[in-house]
Amino acid sequence: MRLVTASLSTVIVVLALAACGGSSSSGKTATINVWAGTQPGGSFQDAAKQCSASSNGAYTIKFNALANNPDAQRQSLVRRLAAKDSSIDIVGMDVVWTAEFAEAGWIKPFPTAVADRVRTGMLQGPVQTATYKGRLYGAPGNSNTQLLWYRKDLVSRPADTWDGLIKQASALPKAGRFEIAGAAAENTTVWFNALVASAGGKILSGPRTPNFGPPVQEAVRVMGELADSKAADPSLAQQKEDQNRLAFQSGQAAFMVNWPFVYPSIKTAAEGGDKTAKQVLDNLGWMPYPRVNANEPAKGPIGGFNWGVSSYGKHKAQAFAAAACLASARSQKIYLDKDGLAPTISAIYDDKKTQGIYPFYGLIRKGLETGAPRPSTPAYSDVSLAIYSTLSPTSNAAKPNALDELRKNIKTALSPKGVL
Amino acid sequence: MRDINPRRLAGWTTANTLIVVVALFPVLWLISLSLKDPTTVADGRLLPAKWTFDNYNGIFDQSIFTDALRNSLGIAAIATVIAVVLAAFAAYAIARLEFPGKRVVLLASLAIAMFPPISVVGPLYDLWRNIGLYDTWPGLIIPYMTFALPLAIFVMSSFFREIPWELEQAAQVDGATPMQAFQKVILPLAAPGFFTTAILVFIFAWNDFVFAQSLTSTSAAQTVPAAIASFPGASQFTAPTGSIAAAAVIVTIPIVILVLFFQRRIVAGLTAGAVKG
Amino acid sequence: MSTSASAAGPVATRGTEGAAAESGPPKRKALTERARAERKLGWMLVAPAALVMIAVTGYPILYAIYLSLQRSDLRFPNDTAFVGLSNYIAILGSSRWWTDLFHTVLLTAITVSIELVLGMMLALVMHRAIFGRGLVRTTALIPYGIVTVVAAFAWRLAFSQAEGGFVPKALGLSTDPLNSTIGIWITAILAEVWKTTPFMALLLLAGLALVSDELHEAAKVDGATAWQRFWRITVPLMKPAILVALLFRTLDAFRIFDTVFILSNSGVNRNVETVSVLSYNTLLTRLNLGLGSALSVLVFVCVALLAAVYIALLGKDTIASGTGAE
Repeated sequence: MRLVTASLSTVIVVLALAACGGSSSSGKTATINVWAGTQPGGSFQDAAKQCSASSNGAYTIKFNALANNPDAQRQSLVRRLAAKDSSIDIVGMDVVWTAEFAEAGWIKPFPTAVADRVRTGMLQGPVQTATYKGRLYGAPGNSNTQLLWYRKDLVSRPADTWDGLIKQASALPKAGRFEIAGAAAENTTVWFNALVASAGGKILSGPRTPNFGPPVQEAVRVMGELADSKAADPSLAQQKEDQNRLAFQSGQAAFMVNWPFVYPSIKTAAEGGDKTAKQVLDNLGWMPYPRVNANEPAKGPIGGFNWGVSSYGKHKAQAFAAAACLASARSQKIYLDKDGLAPTISAIYDDKKTQGIYPFYGLIRKGLETGAPRPSTPAYSDVSLAIYSTLSPTSNAAKPNALDELRKNIKTALSPKGVL
Repeated sequence: MRDINPRRLAGWTTANTLIVVVALFPVLWLISLSLKDPTTVADGRLLPAKWTFDNYNGIFDQSIFTDALRNSLGIAAIATVIAVVLAAFAAYAIARLEFPGKRVVLLASLAIAMFPPISVVGPLYDLWRNIGLYDTWPGLIIPYMTFALPLAIFVMSSFFREIPWELEQAAQVDGATPMQAFQKVILPLAAPGFFTTAILVFIFAWNDFVFAQSLTSTSAAQTVPAAIASFPGASQFTAPTGSIAAAAVIVTIPIVILVLFFQRRIVAGLTAGAVKG
Repeated sequence: MSTSASAAGPVATRGTEGAAAESGPPKRKALTERARAERKLGWMLVAPAALVMIAVTGYPILYAIYLSLQRSDLRFPNDTAFVGLSNYIAILGSSRWWTDLFHTVLLTAITVSIELVLGMMLALVMHRAIFGRGLVRTTALIPYGIVTVVAAFAWRLAFSQAEGGFVPKALGLSTDPLNSTIGIWITAILAEVWKTTPFMALLLLAGLALVSDELHEAAKVDGATAWQRFWRITVPLMKPAILVALLFRTLDAFRIFDTVFILSNSGVNRNVETVSVLSYNTLLTRLNLGLGSALSVLVFVCVALLAAVYIALLGKDTIASGTGAE
C-alpha cells in the first residue's frame, strides 16, 4: 500500500513539474544522466534500463561510465560539480563522499517522502553512510564489506583475532602469507578504521574532533605487528586489493582480508584453466572480519555506492525518483546477479537464490549490520590522506613515533588550513 | 669513398646501434605488452607467451579511447592552425621589420617558454569553471596555442631569416605587384617553415598532459594522454595494463610517421636552421 | 618574468631608435613615413601573438596571487575569507613542501647533468657519424616526439613488478622496484633522461654545427687528438649553445610533472613527488584553491629565480646570441 501511494505521489509530482514546464528534452521524458564507475557485468546499465522502462515515460536514464577506482571517479566528479556542470543528474558516490559532497552543496538531500521509501528495509550500516546531519543524501544502491578468506588445506581453523592469525601464518612452513592491501591509498584508511572500530573506538567523534585513545593505539599496534611479521607480503606497501587477490590465487598466501569480488575472480581463473587457482578455490574458506579483542566481535569496513542527486541537474524530481529506483530491491537483485554486489536491503539475503550463488552472504549481511562506517566529515579526503600517508608503508606503524605522526597529521587535516 | 679504418667503422656501428636500441626499446616493450593475453600480462616476460589482439579490440570498443583520439586530433589541429598563423605574423615582423619593442616581444616569448604551466592551471580552472569553458575544446586550445607560441615564433623567425627577400624586390622590378610578389615568390619559400612549425606545434599539443589532466574530465574534451592515465580496468580492482599499452602504441604511431617522414625538417626547425640534414 | 621584460621596454625602444638613426644621415626628430609605417605594421603583426601570450599567462598568475591570499576551498564554499599571507606561512612551515622542493631540485640536477653528457655524445654522433646519420636522427627523435605520458608508462610498466615488468624478473628481484624510494627514483631518472636527451642533443647540435671543420682540420694537422680537439675547440666555441641548452633544460626539468605523476601512480606514491605534482593535487584533487594557488605562485617564483640566476651568471647577451634573438 505504501509502495503504491509513494509511486503515485512520485508520478503526480513528476507530472506537475513537467506541466509547469522547464523540461529541456522532447515531451515529458527527462533524460537523467547517471555518472558512476562501471561494473564488469554491466549491472548498472541493466538497472538503468529497467528503471527507465518502468518510469512510465517520466524519465530515461543515460548511464555514463567513469574511471574504475573511486579516487579517479572523485577527481573527475568534484571538478565538474564545482564547475556546476548541468550534465550530471545522478552520481554514484563512494560511501565516504557523502559528508564532503553535502557540505559543499553539490548534492541535494532527498525529500522526506522519497527518503522514507528508500530507507525501508535497508540495513543500518549503508543507510548511515548516506546520512549527513540527519538527512539522507544518497540512496544506498549496494554495499560491501570485507571477510577473512583462508586456505582450508593450510589452516584447519583460523584464529579469531589479528594477533592469532599473524601467529598462525608466520608458523606455516611455506605459503604462509597474510594478504592485505597496504598501498598508500584509501585501502589503508579502510583497514585502520575497521581496526579502531573493532577495538571499540572511533577515529573522529565529530566532524572536526579526533580521538587518540587506546583503540587508536591498538589499531596502530596491530598494523605494525603485521608489517613486521614473517607473514607480511614483501610488496605490502604497494599492494592494492587486486594484487592481494592475485597473490592469494597463485597459492602464496594462507590468509587474505579482502572484499568479496575475489570469489568470482578466483572462480573465473580456475574455470579458465589456472590449476593453482582451482586448488585455491577448492580449499577456499571464509570467516568474519578478524577481531582485535578476542571477546569483542569485530566491526568490519563498509564499502559500496550511494546514488546521490546533483544540485545542478535540470530534472531534480525525476532524478530523485530515478535514484530511488536504482536502489530498489529489483535493481539490487540485478547488481547481485550480474556483478556479485552485496545488497543493502535485508530481505534479499533471505532469498535462497542469493545464498546459493554466494555461499558467504550470510556473513556479509552480518558484517553490514554490525559494521562501522568510516568517519563522516567534509574533510574526509584530507583525513584519509593524513591516515594513509602516515600508515603506509605499513612498517611505519611499527615505528615508535607512529602515533605522534598520526595525531599531528590528522589534526592538520581537520584544521581549516587544509593539508599538503 | 675514402678507405675506412675498420676500427672506426666498428666504433660508429656500435654507437649507432646503441642509440637505435635505446631509443626504440621502450616502444618495443609497449608493443610486446599490448599483445600479451590478459591472463599473462603480469608475467614479466619480455616477449608475450600468448599473443592476442584483444587489448586493441578492447580499447576501440569503449568510446573513451576513440573520443579521446577525436578530441586530441581536433584540439591539436585547431591550436596548431591558430598558433602558426599568429606566429607567422609575429615572426615576419621580427625578421623583416624594424620597430621598437621587438626585443620585448622576444624576451616575453622567452619568458613564456620558461613559464611553469602548473602555475597557470589553478587560476585557469577557476576561470574556466566560472565562464563555462571547463571541459571544452576552447578551454584547452587557448592554453595550448599560448604556450606553443614561443616555439613557433622561434622556429618561424629562423626560417624567415633564411629567405632571400631580394627576390621579392626582383619580382616587383619584373612587374609583379607587391601582393603577387609575396604570393608567388615568398610564400613558396616560406612554406617549409610553416610546415615545420606546424609539425612541432602539433607534437607539443598532442603531447600535453598537465592542461589536459587539469582542465578536462569527460569525453567532451579529454585528450589521449589524460585518458590513458585514467583508463578503467575491467573492474574496480584490476589494473588495465594491456589496454594502456595498446592505447600507448596507437597514439605513438602518428608520431613515428611524422618523425620518419619529416626528420630533416624537424631537426632543421629545432636547430634554427643550423642543421639542414 | 613579464615585469622585468616590460621594464626593459622603454630602454630597448630608445636603443633601437638610436641604432636606426645612426644607420642613415642623422634624422633625430622625424621618422620617415616609411619607418613610421613599418613600425605600425610591425606592432600590428606582433600584437595578436603578444596579447595572447600576455593575457593567457599574465592574468592567471595575477589571479593566482589574488587567490593565494584567500582561504578558498571549493569543498567549503561558504568559508572563503581573506587570510593574507597565512597560506604561504603554512606552506613554508610544512615539511612536505621542503621535501618536495628537495626532490625537485635533486631530480633536476641529476637529470640535467646526465642529459648534458649523453646529449653531447648523441649530438656528436648525429653530426659526425660516418654513416647512418639519418637513421640515428630519426630514431633519436622518437623519444622527443612520443607522448610523455606514454613514455612514463613504458618505463613504469617495465620496472613495476606488480604490473608485470620485465626488469624485476630479469634482475631476479624479490621486491617491487617501484616500492622502494631508490627504485622509483632510478626509474624516474631513466625515464626523464630517455625522453629529453634528444631535445638536449638537438639544442647542442645547433651549436655543434656552427663549429667550422677547418679549425678541426688545422688542429689535426698540428697533431691534436680528438679528445684535445673536443675540449679546446669544440666546447669553447659551443659555449653559448651549451649554456642556452642548460638554461632551457634546467627550467624544463624543474617543472617536471608528467613522468613523476605517472610513475607515482597518479600521485599516490609520494617518494618522488615534485612541487608541480604537489600543486596539482592540492588544487585539483583537494580543491583547496587558496593553498594551491600559493603553491603555484611559489613554484613560479622558484622558476623565475632560477632563470634570473642563470641570466645573471651568463649575461643577457650570451643568451640572446645563443637563441639568435640578436
